[in-house]
Order: sequence, then C-alpha cells, then structure tokens
Amino acid sequence: MEILTKRYWWLGLVFIGALVLPLVVGEFWVHVAIEILILGLFAVSFNMIFGNMGQLSFGHAAYYGVGAYATGLLMVRASVPLPICLAASMVAAGICALILGYFCVRLTGIYFAILTLAFGQLLYYIIFQWYSFTRGDDGLQGIIPPGALFSATYYYYFTLFIVTGALIAMWYVNESPFGYTMRAIRENADRTRFIGINVRRYMLINFVVAGMFAGRNWHQSGIPVFMTVIGGPLGFFGPMIGSIIYTFLMAFVTGFTEYWPLTIGLVIMFVVLFLPGGVLGLVEQKMKVFRSRDLETRGDRSAETGSS
Amino acid sequence: MDVSLLVAQSMSGLSRGMMLFLIASGLSLIFGVMNILNFAHASLWLVGAYFCYSFWHLMQNHGFGMWVSIPLAALVLAAIGWVIEVVLIRRVYERELPEQLLLTYAMVLILGDLIKLTWGVEDKIIVRPPLVDGPVFFYGIPFDSYFIFVISIGFFVAIGLWWFLKKTKYGHIVRAAVFSREMVSALGIPIPRIYTGVFVLGIFIAGLAGAVQAPVGSITLGMDMDMAIVVQAFCVVVIGGFGSLLGTLVGSIIVGEVYAFSILFWPQGALVLIFIVTAVILIVRPWGLFGTPMRV
Repeated sequence: MEILTKRYWWLGLVFIGALVLPLVVGEFWVHVAIEILILGLFAVSFNMIFGNMGQLSFGHAAYYGVGAYATGLLMVRASVPLPICLAASMVAAGICALILGYFCVRLTGIYFAILTLAFGQLLYYIIFQWYSFTRGDDGLQGIIPPGALFSATYYYYFTLFIVTGALIAMWYVNESPFGYTMRAIRENADRTRFIGINVRRYMLINFVVAGMFAGRNWHQSGIPVFMTVIGGPLGFFGPMIGSIIYTFLMAFVTGFTEYWPLTIGLVIMFVVLFLPGGVLGLVEQKMKVFRSRDLETRGDRSAETGSS
Repeated sequence: MDVSLLVAQSMSGLSRGMMLFLIASGLSLIFGVMNILNFAHASLWLVGAYFCYSFWHLMQNHGFGMWVSIPLAALVLAAIGWVIEVVLIRRVYERELPEQLLLTYAMVLILGDLIKLTWGVEDKIIVRPPLVDGPVFFYGIPFDSYFIFVISIGFFVAIGLWWFLKKTKYGHIVRAAVFSREMVSALGIPIPRIYTGVFVLGIFIAGLAGAVQAPVGSITLGMDMDMAIVVQAFCVVVIGGFGSLLGTLVGSIIVGEVYAFSILFWPQGALVLIFIVTAVILIVRPWGLFGTPMRV
C-alpha cells in the first residue's frame, strides 16, 4: 500500500485539479471536460476487454447505447428519478453484455471482433428502426435532468462524482485476483486453463463488468478504441489520457476543418506504426531509461523501483 | 405475387451477391494468405467506382467510354494497392491482430475524407452505354441487362480465380502459403513478394468491382457506404468460411438473395436478418459452411 500511495500520489493532484477546474475555465471548456470524463469512462471500460482480455470488441458502443437509452426511456416514459435510472441503465447494459458475452467468449481473435461487430450493428439497426419505442433516428427528446443539473458546473460535478466512483470500482476489480486472472488469460489462455481456471466463465464475467461500466453513461464504436490506442492500452489510466487528448484534439481541429476523420485516421496510423504503446507507453519507456540511469548512479535502490 | 416478380427479384439478389463476391473474394484471399483483415477493402472499392466515373467523364462523348474506364480504374486501384502494401501493410506483418485492424480502420477514415476532398459530396452518375441499358427479355420476363453484365463479370472472376489458384504455379504457391508460410519460405520463395502480389490482386478485384458497380446507380459516400459494405463482405466471408473460394461464392449468393427477398417482405429487416445469420454461423460453426475447422 505504501508503494501504491508513493507511485500514485499524482492522482490526488489530478483529482484536486479536476475539482477546481470549473472555477478557472469558461463554460465551453467545462462542457469539454464533461465530455472527456464520460468518454474516458467509456474507454476505460472498453479497455477492460481490450487490455485485460486482449480481444478487440467492436460492439462496445452497444452497451453505451443500451445504457443511454435505458436512462432516457425510463425518464421520458415512466418519469423515474435520475439515480434509479442510472442504476437501471447499468443493470440493462449488464444483462445485454451477459447475453451477447455468452456467445462472444466462445471465440477469439478475428472471430471475436467480427461477432461483436455484428451484434453491435444488430442492436444499432433495432434501435433505429423500432420507431414506436425508441423514436428511431429522431432520437429521444425531452430528457429533462433535475433542475440543479441544468448548470454546466453542477452537471460537471455530478459527472465527476459518478466517473470517479466507477473508476475506483474498476480499479479494485483490476487489482483483485480476478484482474490478475484475466491478464493471465490474455498472456496464455491454455496455461491458465491447465491450472484449473474456467477461462470462458472468467471472460464472460469480465465482459459483463466491462459492459456495465460502459452502460453508465450512441457513438461510433471507434471512439473508445481510438482513445485507448492513443493513451495506451496497457495502463489502467491510458484510456483516460487518450480521452483527454482525443477530446481536446477534436475540439481544436473541428474548429477550422470538417475533415476530422482524416485527422484522427492519420493520428491512429502514426500511433500504430511508430508508437505502439500509446502516449503512456512512451512516457513509461522514457521513465524506465531515466530510472535505469538513476540506478546506475546510485546503484542500490533496485528493490523498490525495479518492477514496472 | 406472380412468378416474374420473384424471378426478377432473385436476379437482382444474384447481381447483388456477385458484387459482394467480387469484394469478399479479395478480402478472403488477403486474410487467408496474409492473416490481415482489411477494413479498408470497401473504401478501396468505392475509390474504384469514383475513378471509373472520372475516366468515363473524360471520355463521355465516346461510346466506348465506360468499357475503357472499368479496366483502367481497376488498374489504378491495383497500383494504389501496391503502394499501400509496400508503405503501410508491410510494417505490421509481425504485429498483433488489433494493431493490424486499427491500421486498416484508420485507412477507412482517411480514404473516406480523401474521396470527399477529391470528388466532393454530390452523387455521381454514369450514363450506361446502350448495350447494357434497359431490359432484356427471357420468356417474356424482363431482366435489367446491366445486372446480367454484373453477374457475368462475377462468374468470370470466380472462374479466373479458381483457375489461378488450382492450375497455375503461382496459385499453388499462394495456396501453400495459406497452409504454412514457414515451409514456403524454407523452399526459398520470397514471402513478402507473395504477400504484395496477393494484396495487389485483392485490391485489383475490389477496384474492378467498384468500377462495375459505378453505373448501377449513383455513386455516393452517404449512408456510410464503405463501412456498410465491408461489414456485409465480412458476413459473406464468415458464412462461407475464411479461405474457401467456393464458400465465398455461396456466402455471397446467400447474402444477396436474403437481402433481395427481405426487401420485398420486410424492408427494415434486411440487414438485421443478415447479421442474425452471421451471428448464428459464427456461434455454431465459426469456420463457416465450407471452411475447415481450425484451432479456436
């Protein structure tokens, strides 16, 4: 725990920074920050499948959509209060992930990617064509948040609270024996199976947990993938960093050109070809070089800093 | 509902299926040999359609315009495929699957915007030459003559590919590379050159398909054409089985016909039905109808 607090002291600084942010920037940037938080949570939950399981899920937007529609429909049609809606949306996304995951975890690699893509498209078409229930491509209008959330600042704090809570919960899942088992499966599924672990069941649980956290919050399925890749899939906070870079870049670039896909396409191409670990990977690599130099000069502190 | 409508609909389904075959066969070949799933395949197909339009536009006062534009566009696409393979794909041979998928997905985004920059967003229309315009009659049932042209191109390519893979020396090498690239490499055959050749061939067929598709209706980027078509081509390859030419042909015809007939009976459900069929096949028989089971 001591090492934990030593290594992650900067998180406290980030959190304090996030708390004072609305006091120092204008309303536009508060909206950008809300976007960063929501999409960042979405990307971190996507990375539970990509980073932990080593599988590329193209259907992750489906849970995001199911969660959003569950909240929206409950509020518009049944006037259920917001906190209950949010809990219900998690359950809805979790159930959805349970059903889809039951089939998806039977496959790996390319087949996993295609099946999640097919399921994602299926849900997309159902939601957009079931006009009487979801109002199709008109979208759900008239979702009125409780009075206090009208203000950007309050909405920001509400989002920050929810996202922080979800991140802490996911962090604990990640650092639990379950999280280690998942990473063992990623590295070598056969060996993990040999020591008596039901790989499929673990993958399914992981799938459901990841789906539930995505449901908390309809976008193109690519977004969490891009954020994760830019930030770095191997660290827990990589996707969050990716979300910050992606959202800022988008707010900046779309200001003067409509060719956003071209820009992000080139960025992704650059990252895949020259920066395989993402921004976080680059930082860690540089830190490693720095640390090893540090070790050479001091020579005796290998026990504490050696592992990373 | 009379017979002629059913026959006409099945012809339109067959024509759609052959178009999907042209796209999916290259996709399947590239995946089978190089183990790379090319998300950008349908984007390149669309680029082929736009090139066909541009060539036709230059020669529109001549009757032969379209007939010359189609092979020209396919050749241009083969050249583009060569550049993409040498500059980009070659760098990720040894990488993991998600990185390869991301690279080709980034190409989808880049190509989509490059099309917008080059050809604009308005629809492009090619006027068909009289030979393939209007209906032809068989036993009093009208067929769109262009559909017959599309179907025959599809069958020619299918037979050509079959002949290439089964009867020529290079085809044997390609099939051997699917089976064991180490062994092929050990026999002194340069694997990168085989990969480049296969990629160029796949993109050439995609470009040909795009050029042939161009005069069917208007060419447009709308409705996310590139992604919609590539996902359907994935479905075809999954249903037929990766690496099986016959499977790709049968899968294309199934998807084309399912689409054509559900348009008739349940218009909104056409794509939903195709995704359900694909999901079921993936779950019960992931190697597809004609593929061979592999280690999952």
